[in-house]
Amino acid sequence: MSKFFRRKKFCRFTAEGVVEIDYKDLNTLRQYISETGKVVPSRITGTKARYQRQLSKAIQRARFLALLPFCDNH
Amino acid sequence: MRHYEIVFLVHPDQSEQVPAMIERYKTLIEGDKGRIHRLEDWGRRQLSYPINNLAKAHYVLMNVECSASVLKELETGFRFNDAVLRHLIVSREEAVTEQSFILKNKDDKGERRRRDDDEGFGFVSSDDEPRRERSPRPPRVVADTEPSGS
Repeated sequence: MSKFFRRKKFCRFTAEGVVEIDYKDLNTLRQYISETGKVVPSRITGTKARYQRQLSKAIQRARFLALLPFCDNH
Repeated sequence: MRHYEIVFLVHPDQSEQVPAMIERYKTLIEGDKGRIHRLEDWGRRQLSYPINNLAKAHYVLMNVECSASVLKELETGFRFNDAVLRHLIVSREEAVTEQSFILKNKDDKGERRRRDDDEGFGFVSSDDEPRRERSPRPPRVVADTEPSGS
């Protein structure tokens, strides 16, 4: 029995029926990077594997275009 | 003919050249019966990290339909143009014409709405505030002019 109530994780992209994760949608992508700029693993966010792959690719593209940071000490 | 999405970053000092560059690419694409479905000028944006010691760059987004030879020509154009800092070419399935998220968010930047589902996943709970924009790092000053200690 866990002491704390844990909210059930769910995949936002599945729930919203997203077709493709856009690398230009920075507000969405920012929810899936940690404070240090790393991609948050799907075991924590509950993102489905199919969307986690799209997500990581989108984040990589956004990083290449300097829309997102690679790390926090640039 | 295939669909491509192109983003390129122009040196901020060469910002005035951007309309001329767009015009040049437009004639190149449309000269070969291609089409430009979406053309967005995001203007000068803050970079998340410095590229060539620059803090800002001028972003342009194009969704085009063109042949492989024209695309190759475009890419060599980007590569050998010193004003272009970086470019990204992604192939797309169909023509995208709606406004991109970058410009959408630029339009309603003033309100800075906070959504409930922004609140994250336990350990990033302190991250639920909108990220503040990083200011560019000030140039490092050698502290020989300042009084030091004594």
